Formats: sequence, C-alpha cells, structure tokens
Amino acid sequence: MCGIVGYYDKTGSNQTPVGQIVLDMLNALGCRGPDSAGVALYNSHNVGCTILQIKLGERGHFEEKGWHIAEKMRELTDVQDASVTAEYLRLVVDYSGKPAELERCIEQLDPDLEVVSMGQSLEIVKQVGSPQNLDDTYHVSSFTGNIGIGHTRLSTESRVDLSHSQPFWSHGYPDLATVHNGHITSYRKQRWRYEQRGVHFYTENDSEIIGVYLADQMTKGATLEAAMRKSIQDMDGSFSYVAATANSIGFAKDPFALKPLLVAETDDFVVIATEEIAIRAALGGDFPVREAQAGEIRVWQA
Amino acid sequence: MASINNESVASINCEGLTIREINTGIKRLIAEGETDIVIQNPAARHNLGVGLVSPVKVTFDGSVGYYCGGMIDSTTIHITGTAGWGLSESMLNGTVIVDNNAGNGAAASIRGGIVVIKGDAAARAGVSIKGGVLLIGGNCGYMAGFMGQKGKIIVCGDTGAAFADSMYQTECYVGGTVGELGNDAVVSDLTAEDSAFLDETIRQYLPEKISMLGAFKKIVAGRKLWNFHKSDWKTWREVL
Repeated sequence: MCGIVGYYDKTGSNQTPVGQIVLDMLNALGCRGPDSAGVALYNSHNVGCTILQIKLGERGHFEEKGWHIAEKMRELTDVQDASVTAEYLRLVVDYSGKPAELERCIEQLDPDLEVVSMGQSLEIVKQVGSPQNLDDTYHVSSFTGNIGIGHTRLSTESRVDLSHSQPFWSHGYPDLATVHNGHITSYRKQRWRYEQRGVHFYTENDSEIIGVYLADQMTKGATLEAAMRKSIQDMDGSFSYVAATANSIGFAKDPFALKPLLVAETDDFVVIATEEIAIRAALGGDFPVREAQAGEIRVWQA
Repeated sequence: MASINNESVASINCEGLTIREINTGIKRLIAEGETDIVIQNPAARHNLGVGLVSPVKVTFDGSVGYYCGGMIDSTTIHITGTAGWGLSESMLNGTVIVDNNAGNGAAASIRGGIVVIKGDAAARAGVSIKGGVLLIGGNCGYMAGFMGQKGKIIVCGDTGAAFADSMYQTECYVGGTVGELGNDAVVSDLTAEDSAFLDETIRQYLPEKISMLGAFKKIVAGRKLWNFHKSDWKTWREVL
C-alpha cells in the first residue's frame, strides 16, 4: 500500500495553498504508508529561474556542506538564492543551458549529491517519516502555487531512505514529477533496456521507471497524455500513478484496476487521491467523487 | 456519544470517534430499540455499518469508505454520498442505496437483498454474486458480474470490458452499450418475467429511469464453460 494525491487549481491563481491541501491529504492517508512522505509542489507563475532541491548525502554536516556546495555553484552559474534546510540545499539559479549538464556539474562536485528536483515551477521535498514530520522540517504547508502531488510510502521491495521516497523527479526533464502506488512488474526488463542506452537510475525503486519512461516519450515529442496512454500498454503490473508538469496534471490506472484512485473535478479544481478520506479531510464539501476506471487516463492542462 | 436529536431519529456524529466507537454506537442504538439512525460526518471512513443484522434503517449522511454494509442481514443502509471499495460485500439480505458512485467490488458475493448504486460503479461490481439484485443507475466498470452464480445485475448505462465473464446462473440486464462481452457471455431474449422484474425493480428504486425500460437486453452464461473436456485446448486458450 501507498497513498498518492494530486491537486490542480483551475482558477488561474498562483496563491492557492497547495502545500496545505496536499499535506492534509497525506496526513489522512498516512496509515497507508508510514515509511516516508514527500511532496512535489508547483508554482507555474515562477518563470525564468531554475529551482534546485539537492540532497546533501547521508553523512551529516549538512549546513557546512550545503554552504560549501553553494559557493562552488557560484563559480559555475549565476546563483540568485541559496538556503540549507535539514538534508537539502535549495538553489535558485539563472541557468539557460541544458538541464542534464547542470545536473552533471552538481553531481561532479561531490558523489554524495543527488538532484532531487529541478524546474522553473517544481520543488520536491521528501524524507523518511510521516507527512507531519515533513511539514515540521520543510514547512510545506506554507507553499502557495497551483499544482501539487504527494506520496506516503509503504516500502515493499526497496530500501527506506530519502532517495527511494516519492515523488520522483524525472532526471534531466525539468518540472516533470510522478507519484505511484503499486508495482511495475516489468521494471527489471525495462530498466535494463534504458541502461543499455546509458540512462542512469538513482534508486532500486520500481516506481522510478515511470518518470524515466514519461520523460523519454516526451523528449521524443509526445504530450504528457500520449506518453501516459502509451505507458499503460508498455508497463505491466498493478498501478495507479499521478504525473505533473509545470502546467498539467494527469492520472493513469492499470487495465485491471488493481489499485484504487479517486478523482473529482469542480469548476475550481481537480483533486485526485487513493482514498476519498483524503479528499474530504483536505477539502470537505459534498462534490461527487468517482473511482477511476480500469485503464483510464486523464490529463488536465492549463 | 450517541445523541438523540428528535423523537424519531437517533444520530451519531462521527467526528472525533474511532470506527469501533461508531459501530458499537450503532449497535447500542439498535439494542435500545431505535429503528431510524442517522450517521453524520462519516467522512469516507472505512468499515462502517458492517455486520448489522436487524431490520432497521441506517443513513450515512455523506460518503463512506471501504466495506460499508458488509455482511449485513435485513438492514437498510442509505448512503447519501459515495461508497468506497467492497460496498455491502457478502450481504445476506437487506437494502443498500448509494446516491452517488461506488468503488471497486460493489455488492461482491452478495446472497440476497438489493444494492442500488444511483451513479456509476467502478471495476468488478457484483463479482461472484450468489443471489439478490445489484441495480446500477449509471455505468459500470471492468469485469462486472465475473463468475456470478445466481442473482441479477441491472446496469442502466454502459458496461466496461469483460462484462459477465465466466458466469453461472446470474442474469444481467444492460440498458446502454456493452463495452465487451466476457468469456462465455451471450445475449439472450427478454422473457415476460424479465420485463416484469425490470419494471417492478426500476419503478421502485430508480423511477427516473423508467423511460428506458424498452432498451434493456439480457446477458447470461452461454454455458460453454460449465462443462468442457480437459483436452479442449481451444477453450482453455480462449478463457485463459
């Protein structure tokens, strides 16, 4: 079991408390996944600069290390803002080159570093522990924007640590993030094929392959919806997943409907969650919700 | 905990209560002789109203989570919102009415009574149904009626794929389009008895659908899977 959630503001506001909404939903789903919690939050009105969330490794001394890395980054690119919170270094940079090159530069500074998210609108924070702990550390509830997705994890096949937590950013593809509930049983075969092409995997978590797959399809020119539609033909297993970009959100459910996923749409928002209990806890109301059907894909785009 | 709002209706407000407190509260009110109980703020929580065996009415004012009304006998349950997975699973008898949609596995393995879903049902509605009636006002999802043994399923809207797959003696009626017939599912002619049953059931529970009575087609098992020789590889391949 895991819990996944998504929220998409349709009003055009960038001041929606998506952090609080996603956190409320995750708190309600906490019992589905007590191992770790994470959020990917978007403010689509942020344009120009690139925001990076960088994991500082697992050897402590984060404050010291963070500032050291920030200094080194100033030599490489135009750093507009830098801050260190717990295990993360957050950088705002004015960078117009290729995202993959920036990521490679950062990883070369120190082998312990991992770029957890990169994008103009996207910020991911995740860690071992409950959603409430996540908020206590990173104050995600104060984030305002227009799109948010989140995850509470019950690990079944890979280790419990920050890197293996979700959401996953699709490395090299700015602003694309996914959360997944279920198993991708074709993971080994598909991962091997990607690795033959030189794609680097950061974890042993089968969920990581969804973001890799979508980024691959979208790099070839597919829309998010087309990539998601193809994904349920190419991937085996039981899954419900939510994907988001700077201006869209979508969900997919496997053709056997083995994992739950509820969705509701009003004039103002789209909300997606593993259980309705999350939707009511965060938003109340009596708007109708429905279980997504087997093999259903739906994408909303600004 | 449980409070009596007025002379005729007893109610429980779920806010701040555990699932066990809510369920024991319902049973206590029944033991005290209440016959019309309202549950407020169910907030889509799981396992509510399971195992009730008294001819009383319990109304959930809002949405319920998984397994609501499971294993009930002779109780009437009304859900004014949405129901989660496994609605009224293995019900023996009684009436369950959902004003909105229902999740996967609604009315799975029921033995009697009636489950009415006014909205849509998700995947695997009425699987292994052993008696009673499942009435869906909207559409149903993938694999509804799978391995149905007895009982009846009425879908006023469209069905998903693999409808009525590998059934025994369940009778299905579809008002809309069948997405895809399951293994061994065949369309059959409506009898006068079928028409009378549809007329009576829809008139009682979904009168707003009465105009579509003429649209129903009947789907039953083609009985090819009931008996076939183990060396019949063609059938094995088709089914598996």
